[in-house]
Amino acid sequence: MTGQTSNYGATSAPPHQRTQSSTSSTKAVARTKILLLGQRRSGKTSIKEVLFNGLPPKQTFFLETTMRIVKHTYDTVTPLEIWDCPGNITVDTLGAPLSQFSALIFVIDIRDLYKQPISKLVEFIIAAYHDNPQLLVEVFVHKAEKLQDEKIENFRQIQERVQDHLVERECEQMPYNFHLTSVYDHSLHEAFSKVLHKLVHSLPFFEDLLNVFCANSQSPKAFLFDVASRLYVATDASPVDSATHNLCCDYLSMLNAFGPLYRTPTSRATRLRMPTAEPPPDNPLPVQTKDRFYPSAAATLHSSAPGTTLTYHLITPHLALLALVPTGVYEGRRGLLEYNVVFFPRRGAGDMCS
Amino acid sequence: MKKKVLLMGASGSGKTSMRSLIFSNNPASLTARLGATIDVEQNHVRFLGDLILNLWDCGGQDAFMDSYLTTQRSTIFQHVGVLIYVFDVETNEMHKDLEYYRDCLDGLRQFSPEAAVFLLVHKMDLVRDKDATYERKKKELQEQSEKQGQAITSVTVFGTSIYDESLYRAWSSIVHTLIPNASVLSKHLTIFAEACSATEVILFERTTFLVIATSSPPRSPPPEAAPFQELEATRYERTSELIKAFKHSCSRVREEFHSLEMELPEFSAVLDEMTKNTYVLIIVHDPTIETAALKLNIRMARRKFEELQGLT
Repeated sequence: MTGQTSNYGATSAPPHQRTQSSTSSTKAVARTKILLLGQRRSGKTSIKEVLFNGLPPKQTFFLETTMRIVKHTYDTVTPLEIWDCPGNITVDTLGAPLSQFSALIFVIDIRDLYKQPISKLVEFIIAAYHDNPQLLVEVFVHKAEKLQDEKIENFRQIQERVQDHLVERECEQMPYNFHLTSVYDHSLHEAFSKVLHKLVHSLPFFEDLLNVFCANSQSPKAFLFDVASRLYVATDASPVDSATHNLCCDYLSMLNAFGPLYRTPTSRATRLRMPTAEPPPDNPLPVQTKDRFYPSAAATLHSSAPGTTLTYHLITPHLALLALVPTGVYEGRRGLLEYNVVFFPRRGAGDMCS
Repeated sequence: MKKKVLLMGASGSGKTSMRSLIFSNNPASLTARLGATIDVEQNHVRFLGDLILNLWDCGGQDAFMDSYLTTQRSTIFQHVGVLIYVFDVETNEMHKDLEYYRDCLDGLRQFSPEAAVFLLVHKMDLVRDKDATYERKKKELQEQSEKQGQAITSVTVFGTSIYDESLYRAWSSIVHTLIPNASVLSKHLTIFAEACSATEVILFERTTFLVIATSSPPRSPPPEAAPFQELEATRYERTSELIKAFKHSCSRVREEFHSLEMELPEFSAVLDEMTKNTYVLIIVHDPTIETAALKLNIRMARRKFEELQGLT
């Protein structure tokens, strides 16, 4: 969780304080703004905390109700600013025009009564239609883990009702997407990743790079993940299969958890130190230092012949390339594979990501 | 060699849940599906080749408990290696639990006075003030055990929860008492660690991923090397928990976890099969040590460790 700064409200300071130097760093970058809306207790803050503050899903139960708009900044490929709004906010009380935002995520509790949230959602969609037709509208039908059999039925019902309302108000051209989500499994990560893709302008570029990587490394699937939030920023052209995505997500969370376990106060600094120009005088042997330290990992699965290896290579402080590679390729041509990986950021992604 | 392990405690205290977590690689979220255990469920778990854990999961309803203490008394309490007694931390019937526990101790003293006793204060995730509650319960349980005289050799209390690493800590220490050559293994792991320039080497059992033995800290640590004692105290059980969780993720896509190597900013590590029923984790802080070299060392050491376990 190193890349995360929990500078709540750093940008929500009153306007007259904004000129101060403490906020200048966060103000310097233009952030993509995401609006997080929904009824009271629908799970907005849970979503934000689980994704961007690493809160364990079980702990979301203890979160306090959000009373005022909380602006959470998060640095990844595209710097984000997530506005976590209290349940009673309306288009008028938001305090900012909808045209400022790139995406609107509306959270509906799947067990809730749908009348109120849907009419509110419709209000926002209509307002967006007039102010900012480019706004991405994403509806998260949340807390899916609470229902078993009626889950799909309720999900469909919500979609239908929203559709009906919009037809009634003659606003059906506004595009919007539905996702079934839960903080207890990977559906939230997958849904939010899909939203993120639409906000990353360099997405086609990343996708091309990943396609080239997959073709040259015989990899059936590769993801570019944001390490701390475990959202994938891009993937290659082959279709995403949820099971593979879930496995990569779990793999990443294991590696994230492993780091601090065997850390010593100095290990990180000494290991990441760039090689010094001259060897220390007390050591006659030439020091073997790596050119540069590339954090990486590999997990081999299925010990028999056609096994798969899950590789992990940290490309920038925030982004990691996760790929499924045939074990034979990994073991036989590891050097070439790593060359492909090292080549990845050199093509410019490194500059773009950082 | 066969060791009998009795798993006892009130109905609903979590005995079968923890068994399913440790020995069947099920995640904590699925334990809600488990039904009540009827009478005694016996399992044989092969542990480290020649050691077989004969696990008796004893259903905890009163009727069963009464019969264990009367008609089945000799069958249940004979040849016991370890008694694990589970207490639900939030129980309303502590008094009754303790009464049964004392009766079980009586039975144990009568038939297997050598047995080690472990008391698990379970479901610790439900209480807010963990440390204070645990200390209070521990004191209470120790007092109750002492009343019974000196016949029982040792009583160890652990606070556990299936939702964190505490369960692995308790069980690692339980199996540690059952492994006959733990100190020999530890000695050889230390030699192995030195050969790898490793900070630490840990040996896990394959199916449960419980810690069997670890290398002891190097006697004269090189000055610039990482100070050993500053490593995270719960790292072994956290590792068990992480690997088990990942193994479960792999099994969901019908893959089987085999090995792992990491070169993280904080350390390098290799986790690989040592013998057919153990895994070894090597932790290295020196950035010049390549993981491939560690893998080669594991391959070279394999024969020796098979010998130590009496597999050859």
